[in-house]
Parts: sequence; C-alpha cells; structure tokens
Amino acid sequence: MKQLYYEVKKCLGCKSCEIACAIAHSLTQDLFKAFNEERLSLPRKKVYKSGDKNYPVSCRHCQEPKCVDACMAAALTYNIAKGLVEHDETRCVGCWMCVMVCPYAAIRPNLKARIPLCCDKCKDKDEPGCVKACPTGAIIWQEEVVVEK
Amino acid sequence: MKQLVIIGNSAAGIAAVEAIRKRDKESKILVISDEDYPAYCRCLISYYLAAEVKEEKILYRPEGFYKENNIEILLNKKVERVDPKKNRVICEDKTQFNYDSLLIATGAHPKFPEIKGLKKKGVFGFRTIKDAKDIAGLLPVTKAACVLGGGLIGLKAAYALAKRNVEVKVIIKSMQVLSQMLDFEAAHFVQKRLEEHGIDIITGSDIVEVIGNGDIKAIKLDSGKAFACSLIVVAKGVEANTDLIKDSEIKVNEGIIANNLLQTNIANIFTAGDVCESYDLTLGGFSVNALWPIAVEEGRVAGANMAGEKLNYDGSLGMNSIDFFGLPVVSLGIYKVKEGSSSYEELKLRDEKKNIYKKLILKDNLIVGAILVGDIKSSGIFLRLMREKINPSSFKDKLLQENFSYPDIMSFLKEKEKEKVYV
Repeated sequence: MKQLYYEVKKCLGCKSCEIACAIAHSLTQDLFKAFNEERLSLPRKKVYKSGDKNYPVSCRHCQEPKCVDACMAAALTYNIAKGLVEHDETRCVGCWMCVMVCPYAAIRPNLKARIPLCCDKCKDKDEPGCVKACPTGAIIWQEEVVVEK
Repeated sequence: MKQLVIIGNSAAGIAAVEAIRKRDKESKILVISDEDYPAYCRCLISYYLAAEVKEEKILYRPEGFYKENNIEILLNKKVERVDPKKNRVICEDKTQFNYDSLLIATGAHPKFPEIKGLKKKGVFGFRTIKDAKDIAGLLPVTKAACVLGGGLIGLKAAYALAKRNVEVKVIIKSMQVLSQMLDFEAAHFVQKRLEEHGIDIITGSDIVEVIGNGDIKAIKLDSGKAFACSLIVVAKGVEANTDLIKDSEIKVNEGIIANNLLQTNIANIFTAGDVCESYDLTLGGFSVNALWPIAVEEGRVAGANMAGEKLNYDGSLGMNSIDFFGLPVVSLGIYKVKEGSSSYEELKLRDEKKNIYKKLILKDNLIVGAILVGDIKSSGIFLRLMREKINPSSFKDKLLQENFSYPDIMSFLKEKEKEKVYV
C-alpha cells in the first residue's frame, strides 16, 4: 500500500502541493476554471512552518482512524483493502466530530460547504497531485515503511 | 460455544460487536434492542427532522451488516432484568437468554420534569428515530413549538423545527445556551447566530405548566409569561438506563461504574456508552460522558475485552462539536472554571467581528479544557495534548495562533506516540 512521506529538508514551503491538491479535487481540473466553480475546491493538504522547517500535513489514513470512530453519520469509513480513509459526502452533515478528534489536525473544515477536507490519495489518478507538483521531490510516494514502535 | 449478549444496538453496541468479530468469528453474538429499527445514526435525527438527511442515509451500517457478521439481532425487545448469579438476562416478555459474557450498552433516556400537563399528547423527548418521526408527523399542523432546555439536543431540535418553518422558542432555565458545554462568552456567539435565524431564546426562565384542555395550547413560565404552541420538545438532559440492574449487585452511580477494562464489578459483565460511568481524564474522577465518539471508543474496548483481550481504556472526557448555521463550535474537557479559582490559567482570544472565540484552560501546565468557536481547525491537536498530557509551556505563545499545527507539537510527543511520515 502506497503512502505519502515527506523529506522535510527538501521542502521549500512553496505550497505548490496545496495548489495541485485543490486542482486535483476540482471539477474542471484546471487552475483558472476552478476559481469559477460553484463550490471552490480547497486543498486537502496544508504546509505549515515550524521552527525553520516546512511540513506538509494531510490525512495519514491511520489504520485505526479516530475520525471514523467519531463520525456520527457513518460518512467516514476505513477501506482496509485500499488502506484509505474514505469520506462519503452524501452522508456527511458537517458536525466536525472528525475535525475534533484528528490527532494531526489533518482533516480541516470547509466551513462554507460544511464538509471536512480529507486527503483521498487522489485514488482515481495514477499518483497524487501533490507528488507530481512538488518541484524539489520532497513528497515521496512509496510502499508503506514499517516503523518499529 | 460461547454466547456473548449485547444489550443495546447503537454506537457502543455496534462498536463492541465489530471489535469482537475482529478477534472472534466463532462465538454466538446476540444483540438485543428495545427499538424497532436497525442501528442508526442517533445524532442525525435532528437533520432528519430538518429534512436535510433522508431516511436511507440514517442507517449506521449497511443492510446486510448483521447477517454478514453472523449476529443475531432481536429488535423491539426490552431487557427487564440482569441476573449476574445465573448469567442470564430476562426480558419483559419473559424470554430469557444465558450469556458467558454480557455488555450493557442500554444508553439513556430523556429526563421529563414533574410539570403539570407535561404528559399531554404533543410533548416529545428527542432521542430516537421514533421521536423524530412522531414530531415530523405533526409538522403540517404545527405553527409554533417550544423546546425546553438549551443544551445540544434542545438546540438541535430547535434548529430542525426552524428549518421546517415552525416558530420556535427555546426556554432555558440557566442564563445561557449550552451551559454544559460552553462558557457564557462562547454561548453568546451561538445564541446570536440562532436568533439571527429566527429562533427565539428565552434564558433564565423555566416552565411551570402546560396549558390546554386536552391538546396543548400554550406553556406558562415562572416569569408569568405564556407562549402559545401546540408542540413541546423536552430536552432537559438524559438519564442512564440502569433499571435492568437495579436489584442486582452491579455497582451503579449515575451510570454503571466501569473500570479501566470497561468491566463492571462483575467480571463477565461489561458496560459502554451513555449508560457507562467511566474514568474521566480531565476531571480525574468518574463521570458519564454521554457522547457518540466516547460510546464508540468504549464499545470498542469493551468488545475487545469480551473477546478475551486486556485492552486498557485511558478514560473518557467531555467533548462535543456542532455547527449552527455555519458557526462551528467545539468544546473539550473543562469549559468553565469557578470564579476566583487560582489553580487554573486561561488563555483567550476573542474577535467579535470574525465570530471567533478561543479559550484554553490550563492546570499545572497541562491543557485541561478548550472552547473553540468560529475557528476549530486545531481542536484535534488540543485534544491530543490533553489526552497525552503534554506540557505546552514551550509553545504556549503559539497555541491560539491561526496557524498552530501538528508540526508545532511533534517534538514534544512521547516517542511511542510518534508516527513517522517526515524523513
């Protein structure tokens, strides 16, 4: 199962990944046209500066996702086969329980649309938009590494 | 073959069933529910009443859930009594079931105060899909309604009724909305937002009588005022459903008391959800935290332990989130400190124009509570700092900043809590 990793020292904080993410989740898949869409596509990934480094933050698709447990609408589910936290917008009521419990604050609220923003690893594409867009190769898309706990 | 019996078919019951089946495919699982409905999203009944959620989306699990997981489900069956000595549950219809291990996840029911006329037709609790359907059925002939109680349930009911073009008045005994979740300042933002959308909020008043000969005509308040209405929703808190153990040796306070394994004082009887009184992380004592996410957490641990594990539950805490007409609100742990209490420290940020209010409560250099209105995106981090008891002193100035994020706390996490994606 492929996951997203970040080589922090390469990240310039240029936010190309954020823009690519917003485009990848827009209807038109085009930067300029996306601005005119009825519901503005917002990035599901955010780059935060802490100390002198930049850190891209997005859903990690935890194997025991707290957001799925907390979802009172059963809109969030964990797809074991794909290793993916999936969000069904048609069930979501925008109660923000998922935002409240995410230990990474990786799920953010789209307040206007009343839905949470959650990375879907661009599941219908060959690779995530952020990976393609990163000019320094700081975002790594590879098979999961088992880290000893 | 072992028989595991689960009383209750909502958040905690379902989480338990899933946790058991993850570990044990063999044992017989019997789920008993006094409702006439497969597991559904209880917290969505207000959205259902508001006509924002259709009935088919209210089911919590897909239709084939019970069959696929090899679970026997008995609906519309109420357990009257648990007999721990004989390892047996006895139902109201006199049927009996033996168990090797039992989970009591019976939930809670709305409290109805002793008020003259409150037993009339047209007075509802707001807890079950049946309540929502009964209320919905009266909407065509309902012009005005009163909601008693300004907690989350009351306000959600008021929201739903307002959405269905019913004139709504919320009668609140205390001086603020959401007094079990927010401080006075935060409540002000919520109240304002509700009033802007046509919901009348009357604080500092309580009902004394329901007026009407047969049907409801109006309610009378202690202030002497009366409001005409034909429908009343009672939302003055809930009470744990503990009747079934009242003559047994199972220990109960406000809820059934659970240890860190979610076990009662009887080793093969577990409890979880709104009926369960578990250790509260922020209060440092035992408390019933009747909340959906807590019910799921507890159900999961209880289920795992029923399947033979020894999973530890760190503890529950009060936490809630809601959105009223585009205003998001999150409350975590302790939300109000007694005036003049010097052992607590408060960090606060208030921006009336942007509708933002954030408050953190610290004690002994640990965050023990948070209220977030308008800007809730860091709430998960605050919850984590609370649960993992991380001292925020070295990044205190960042806590309430707009861009406070996970990387800011990363190096302070205990080693085992770190999940590495940054290389």
